Formats: sequence, C-alpha cells, structure tokens
Amino acid sequence: MTVIESANKWEVQLRKGCLEMAVMMALFRGKNYGLGILRMLEDNSNLLLSEGTIYPILNRLRQDGVVDSEWVESELGHPRRYYMLTHKGRERALDMARAWLELASGLERLAKPVVSRKEKSS
Amino acid sequence: MTPVVEKYLLDLRMALSGMTLAEREEIVDEIRAHIEERSIQSGMTVEEILRRLGPAVELARDYNNGALLRRASRSRSPWFILRTTYYWARTGIQGLILFVLAFVGYVAGGAFMLCAFLKPLFPDQIGLWIGSSGVIFGVPASTEGSTEILGPWFTQVALVMGIGFLIGTTVAVRALLPKLKKSQHLARGVRETELIA
Repeated sequence: MTVIESANKWEVQLRKGCLEMAVMMALFRGKNYGLGILRMLEDNSNLLLSEGTIYPILNRLRQDGVVDSEWVESELGHPRRYYMLTHKGRERALDMARAWLELASGLERLAKPVVSRKEKSS
Repeated sequence: MTPVVEKYLLDLRMALSGMTLAEREEIVDEIRAHIEERSIQSGMTVEEILRRLGPAVELARDYNNGALLRRASRSRSPWFILRTTYYWARTGIQGLILFVLAFVGYVAGGAFMLCAFLKPLFPDQIGLWIGSSGVIFGVPASTEGSTEILGPWFTQVALVMGIGFLIGTTVAVRALLPKLKKSQHLARGVRETELIA
C-alpha cells in the first residue's frame, strides 16, 4: 500500500467513524426522517454517505435507546418514519459534541503549522 | 411499485434473517417509503435509487450484524452464541478467532459434561487415569498400567469442569463481541465509502 493510499484509507475511516455522531448532531436540531437526515448531512458536512448506510445506523441507535421513532403520514401521501433523540440521546450528543470540539481544536493547533510550512516550501 | 422494487424488497425481507417478523416488516416499510420519496422528489429512476441503496443482501447484512451481535451479547445460550460467532467468522480474522475460541470452549465443556454423565454407565472405562502413558481425563485406549484416582468423585469434578468451560466461554465471548462490533462497523464504513468513491 502506498503512502497516499494509506492516508486515503485513514481519512475514510475517520469520516465513517464520525457518521454516528453526525446523525445524532443532525437529530439534535429536531425530529427528521431518513432521507431528510441524508440531505442535512450532504448539505452541512462533507461526509460521503451511501443511502443504505443511514437506516442500519438509525436502527442501531434506536436499539441503543438514544433515538426513538414514530410513523407520520407525509404531505406526499405515504408514511414517513421520523426519528428523534431521547433524553439519553440528547445527553450523549452533547457529550460527543463537546469531546469532538475539544479534540478538533487541540489537533488544529498541531495541524495548521504543518499545512502552512508545506505551502511555504512549495 | 414496480416489479424491480418489489423484487428488491422481497430479497431484503428474505435476507433479514436475524430479525423478528415485526422488525423485518418495519425495515421493509421504511425502505419502501425511502424509494417512493426519492422517486417523487428527485425524479431518479428506480434503478438509480436501488443502486444508491446498495444490494438488498448487503443492506440486510448491516441490519443483521447489529441485531445478531446485540442479541448474542445479551444471550446465555451457547447455541445462539456459537451461531453468531460462526456468522462473524466469515467476515474477518477477528471473527474467525472468536469463533474458534467459542467452538473450542463449548466442545471442551460439552466433552466434560458427557464424561460426567457416562461415568455411572461405564465406571471402569471413564475416569482420571494416571500411569505409564501419563495423565488422561476421560477414556484411555487401554487402562493397563494406569490407575483411576478420582473414583466416584469423577462425576462431580467433570460436571464442575464442564459447567466452568461453558460459563467461562459464554462470558468471554459476550465480553469480546462488542469490541468486534466496533471494529466491524469501521471496516464496513471503509468498504462502503470505497464503493461510493
């Protein structure tokens, strides 16, 4: 495996590792359904997401008790399954968001000089 | 719904083997709603929508993996745990190691239990034998030159050993399954993103 391939794989793992957190962040704004969450993630993050990925994640979060769901008739005439964070889910989302921001700001201090030095040298 | 969609949903329903009937129907309803909504809102072709969802069998596998692991990490049934680890053995080296651990543990536990139950029927053939051929627990090829040292206590000792192996294996596998779950989620994520890319 080349250095570039290895770095790409790491980036992919990083993005996918964040997926569960991203879904919970999206639901923190209010209840939403699968396709709505997908759109929100596409618009607000650069996470690459296959459409089939979101539903097993939501199912797992529901089984873990951090997300609840209800079927609601949509304006288009067919039912939608809406998901919302439970109390436990909101607390976990908050903890995850805090931990993420703390980690990201710490790493940013390390990463910025690396990028700026590389840009200067090229 | 077109026959292509119905076929996709049927394949999904059939492949959701790790789910209860109610869970299965709910999942199929949700995927059906997703396809309808995508079709109305984006005007995509059914083929494109299904391509974006991924093959029905793979989608079902993602649901099943989570459900099987969740149940197995709560279950005390050796049979169910063994079935789950067998399923995971096919997904990677960690799953294979866990399956081998579970298999060896349960076979050893079962063998001790069997010896305990057979001892009253074959008191002169089964036991803990010490002699010229070393120490043998169970049935030696020949008892000549060997002495059985546990006598009637053999049954109790074999029972305790058997139960110990069964419980120990169950506890160990249940503790290791959640770790496997985390690493497999990550691995699956890499696979899916590579497919998108």
